[in-house]
Amino acid sequence: MLRLLATIRKEWLLLLRDRTGLTLLFAMPVVLITVMAMIEDAPFRDYQELRFDILTVDNDHGRLGKYIREGLEHSEQFRVIDTVNGHPVTEQQARNMINEGEYKICIIIPKGATGAIVSNANKIVNDISKRMGMPGVLPVSSRKDSLNVTVYFDPASKKAFKSAIHQALDNFLTQVETDLLLERIKQQLRKKDVPENDSMVIQLKAVGLKEQLTGPSQEIDVISNSVQHNVPAWSIFAMFFIVIPIAGNMIREREDGSLLRMKLIPGSYLAILTGKMLFFVAVCVVQFYLMMQVGIYLLPLLGLPKLVLGQSLLAAFIVAVGIGLASTAYGILVGTVFKTPNQALNFGAISIVILSAIGGIWIPLEIMPAHMQFIGHLSPLSWGLDAINDIYLRNAGLGHIWGHMGKLVLFAITLLCIAAVIEKRRLS
Amino acid sequence: MTSILVQDLHKTYKGALEPSLKGLNFSFPKGAIVGLLGPNGAGKTTTISILCGLVKADAGQVQIFDLPQNAMNRETIKRLIGVVPQQIALFPHLTAIENLEYFGNLYGLKGKPLRSRIDEYLQIFGLEKNGHKEVSHFSGGMKRRTNIIAAILHQPQLLVLDEPTAGVDVQSRSMILQFLRDYNRQGVSIVYTSHLLDEAQTICQEVTIIDEGKAVVQGDTTELIARHPECRNLEDVFLHYTGHALRD
Repeated sequence: MLRLLATIRKEWLLLLRDRTGLTLLFAMPVVLITVMAMIEDAPFRDYQELRFDILTVDNDHGRLGKYIREGLEHSEQFRVIDTVNGHPVTEQQARNMINEGEYKICIIIPKGATGAIVSNANKIVNDISKRMGMPGVLPVSSRKDSLNVTVYFDPASKKAFKSAIHQALDNFLTQVETDLLLERIKQQLRKKDVPENDSMVIQLKAVGLKEQLTGPSQEIDVISNSVQHNVPAWSIFAMFFIVIPIAGNMIREREDGSLLRMKLIPGSYLAILTGKMLFFVAVCVVQFYLMMQVGIYLLPLLGLPKLVLGQSLLAAFIVAVGIGLASTAYGILVGTVFKTPNQALNFGAISIVILSAIGGIWIPLEIMPAHMQFIGHLSPLSWGLDAINDIYLRNAGLGHIWGHMGKLVLFAITLLCIAAVIEKRRLS
Repeated sequence: MTSILVQDLHKTYKGALEPSLKGLNFSFPKGAIVGLLGPNGAGKTTTISILCGLVKADAGQVQIFDLPQNAMNRETIKRLIGVVPQQIALFPHLTAIENLEYFGNLYGLKGKPLRSRIDEYLQIFGLEKNGHKEVSHFSGGMKRRTNIIAAILHQPQLLVLDEPTAGVDVQSRSMILQFLRDYNRQGVSIVYTSHLLDEAQTICQEVTIIDEGKAVVQGDTTELIARHPECRNLEDVFLHYTGHALRD
């Protein structure tokens, strides 16, 4: 125990004296997480959370134009712009502004659009009335050509964005058409056997849509946003960067002979190594909680959402220890395999960047191609991130994280065994 | 009784073209200062590593104070030996006291007994005013002296020094050599390896010269020089047995 405690104290003193190392371990990840959460905020936001300026040219001046304008404004997703410099926007002006990238969307409502919808509704009601033995007396336009609401998009707009807009407009059109049709039906029915004071209500929605959560607890409702992804993800990335100080520490001890001296002293070297590992695992856990504080307190000050931690704080602590163990073991292996700090630094840094990229740290694994998802699930960073996401997003508890923890611990044990074999071979 | 007995020691490292030790034999009496000398690549470091239990021999036998060096005795032997490596095997960003406390703790020493032993040695080695300075700020001589203290904190019976005076000034060198004589008078056996043969001649009562993995000569330092009338000093004897060819 004395060897273990003495080693922890020694590593603590060495870390305290290394101001640059301290900055790299704690300040840099704070900056990294803040920057990443901010720059990835927009791509992570749902379209529903964003407000787009939408140019509207209403040549109809009827109910359809009013419906579309009101509907767009009501959705809080769009800001309807129908005047520029105090004058109504013309179709040509709107097209130019879209081409120049000034606006992303423009809607042109053609002249006579409402009339066409009313005429169509009248025609349907007349047809139904005739079949029911009633006279079809509602006026119908003789116009044959169909009218279209035209939408112009910024050529740089993404497919998903265009599709969302199409769907929204289609809904407004359907809504107007349905409302007018129902209005005409009611109007026609009132002319027949219905008392004047009868307030007939036609409710179209018989079956609705309701969203439910499937997680173990029904109380959490966290949207996976930039903060919710980036804070845990880049925290794990920063924790794995402990590889560099550990590998450097081990190589320096080997080079300056202090490792030799430690091995000349009776007693197991394992106790010394355990002390070193415990210290660096503790550093990783401190890093993890510091990053979580950034997500909870700092990022909301910058206009980003607050990090939500889920309900099992113990499970999160255990996962943080597991990630610390895996990253520390990786550092010990790198420090054992490589002969110079430069080699270890280059390999350590590049390998972590690769493991993080395939492990879903940069972008979530779910949006990667299937084969990349398969490779990504082999990265220890993805095991850590999956475990944290299970706790934070799905409200998982201790019972749900053992699979990920098992992989992290097994990974650590395997790397330590490989390091032991390499060290033994080096001596012989 | 011998402090070290080495019999027919063989060692070839994996992947090496030549064996490092090819049937090495020598013995050192208990309580003496003896020199283990040889040119570069002679096998000194391998021999010391086997003596300390860091490296396993392929064949042969090693005894330290009559205890065979094997898995059973390895920990006991480690406690009997103190090794001063040629490198400054200290943590440069810890102070001298923090270094010595750490290595003392690894030997199982702690608290006041350890602290008073550290203070005593710092005084003997003239470092009492610098105990709280980081080792990285020490001069070469101060580092060497601290390096020696780290090896004797647990009061070993056998002290092995690999070039303990390399790169130090005359004053530090004189101080270290005087300490070794005094330490030896307390009954501690000392094995000294160095390329500074005038120093070895001054301090070592006996020497063993090894070359190409074998002992080429062993004996009392004065007698060895006297045995070769053409040799004026230990360096001449060394060259007589190991030749003038460069060893790279």
